Amino acid sequence: MSTVLEQIEQQIASLSSKAVKKNTGNIRSVADGVAKVDGLSAVMYNEMVQFPNGVIGIALNLEEDEVGCVVLGDVSQLKEGDEVTTTGRLLSVPVGKALLGRTVDALGQPVDGKGPIETKETYPVEKIAPGIIVRKSVSQPLFTGIMAIDSMIPIGRGQRELIIGDRGTGKTTIAIDTIINQAKINQVGLASKDPKFRPVYSIYVAVGQKNSNIVRTIAALEAAGALEYTILVAAPAADNPANQYLAPYSGAAMGEWFMENGMDALIVYDDLSKHAVAYRQISLILKRPSGREAYPGDVFYLHSRLLERSARLDGKGSLTALPIIETLAGDVSAYIPTNVISITDGQIFLETDLFNQGIRPAVSVGLSVSRVGSAAQIKATKQVGGKLKGELAQFRELAAFAQFGSDLDAKTKAQLERGARIVELFKQPAFNPLPIELQVSVLFAMQKGFFDAIEVKHIVAAASALKEFFTTRQSEILTDIRTKAALDKDIEARLQSACEQWKSGYKA
Amino acid sequence: MASRVKPIRALARQLLKLSVVDGVVSPERVAGVLAYLEKSRPANQVPVLKAYRRLIAVEIAKSEAIVEHAGPVTSQALDAIASDLSRKYGRRVTAIARPNPALLAGLRVHVGDDTYEASVAGQLSALAAAV
Repeated sequence: MSTVLEQIEQQIASLSSKAVKKNTGNIRSVADGVAKVDGLSAVMYNEMVQFPNGVIGIALNLEEDEVGCVVLGDVSQLKEGDEVTTTGRLLSVPVGKALLGRTVDALGQPVDGKGPIETKETYPVEKIAPGIIVRKSVSQPLFTGIMAIDSMIPIGRGQRELIIGDRGTGKTTIAIDTIINQAKINQVGLASKDPKFRPVYSIYVAVGQKNSNIVRTIAALEAAGALEYTILVAAPAADNPANQYLAPYSGAAMGEWFMENGMDALIVYDDLSKHAVAYRQISLILKRPSGREAYPGDVFYLHSRLLERSARLDGKGSLTALPIIETLAGDVSAYIPTNVISITDGQIFLETDLFNQGIRPAVSVGLSVSRVGSAAQIKATKQVGGKLKGELAQFRELAAFAQFGSDLDAKTKAQLERGARIVELFKQPAFNPLPIELQVSVLFAMQKGFFDAIEVKHIVAAASALKEFFTTRQSEILTDIRTKAALDKDIEARLQSACEQWKSGYKA
Repeated sequence: MASRVKPIRALARQLLKLSVVDGVVSPERVAGVLAYLEKSRPANQVPVLKAYRRLIAVEIAKSEAIVEHAGPVTSQALDAIASDLSRKYGRRVTAIARPNPALLAGLRVHVGDDTYEASVAGQLSALAAAV
């Protein structure tokens, strides 16, 4: 028997003293967050490599006699000749519900000072997007809480809808409003204990933003009670370009966890213009050939592989993406905007002129489109807002024509009056998303002419009064609209009488 | 830049091929290559020589096992390491001992880009990284 034990002990001894094989190299040069490494002959593309002092990097350029690695940590600790080791692993980030309410960096490490995050799972940052077979077409709505968008440019779960516009036109506000609206819907839905209710969790990826802006976003989400349903991935302007390049992919990995586990998630990439700039910086330092606007040749693939990861999966959940692109002087024909426009399923175009005229959100109805969202729009919204886009486009055309000052016929005048009222109705303050049932009620009142007698300058106040009336005194109708998602004859009659009641008591 | 580097690398690779016999760098062949370069003086001679030197150094490193050790290592142990590695890589590998007290105990063997870590210092650093 003792021989058997000895044999086992020998086996243990041979295993415990077994040499560990590593593939190594040495730093040849370090500059601008990129290390050129000699050796590493067995390294794989996108593999994580280990530098001294716990610093990690990613092998991005595999050349004949050297490897270009982006460093994801403190470059100042590295020097020429330092040993670099392959890890055999792809870069992964922690995923799961434990990340909700937290702010993390591009590697998923907490940066909010709230302590460590207890997660069991990690997902690779780079992952091949779901294929055709596992996908399902977009058919469930994702309400933004912004009346102009939900009624005219509806978004569905699993859709990629671009938010595009110049600086200071309210792009981030639309994204934050959408996140806040998801939180509000989640609160109502989870409280109702409806087994069919599917909450939407949000991920906000801040790329190349000022730290003060990120703090403001966190404060806005916290004030609205939306932080507990949101993960913030921060790669601020002060972060190295490698982290800014990785942050959207890390966010996508976190979102994929919800999607793969049968939940719905929304991800906001704020913004992909800065992401492309960070990638351009890395590519130029890696001496990759540059093309148009000095971007590398694979800048399209940079965004297409990211946005293709948003999908609705058959039998599982969905990941909806709201990428943001900043244009210069409204030029949507620039390189990055055209790329992302062609990848996404539609765009919400925000105009500086509209914003300056006080029309906020400054959504340009003519240039905005949702290619798949109408399939996800609820019947109630279609019933009351089906023709809105056409009416508003017609109004814009007529308004331009009417500027010439010629006499207008009664029909044209009526169209202009109606259009002006619709524009006023769509004005909405920031961080104040409207529940869909309230949107339907207001649009119903507009459609039935309850605002026709009110002066245009008083429309905003009247709409607020109507919303308050419905919320405080007609909450049953709102609940019915929310649960049935359609206007049957009974609801229509009740809406009509409620609007009449409001109108009789309303004084401008 | 890239167009200038490409032919230099190609020539250096060609010279390397001429310098290797049975997977091992032959000093005679290297001497012959150097004599040829001296005589023919190709364009970009210095960059070609530098690229050639780098390739030769990589090739030599592939057939040399640097055995770092903290305690004493017998010649039999070195021979055993050399024969094991020769079998593993399919080419003749020679073992060269190099004392390194920082390892505390055990061995660390470098062959080309591969490192075999069997030292106490290596185990301690792996433990520190895991904690």
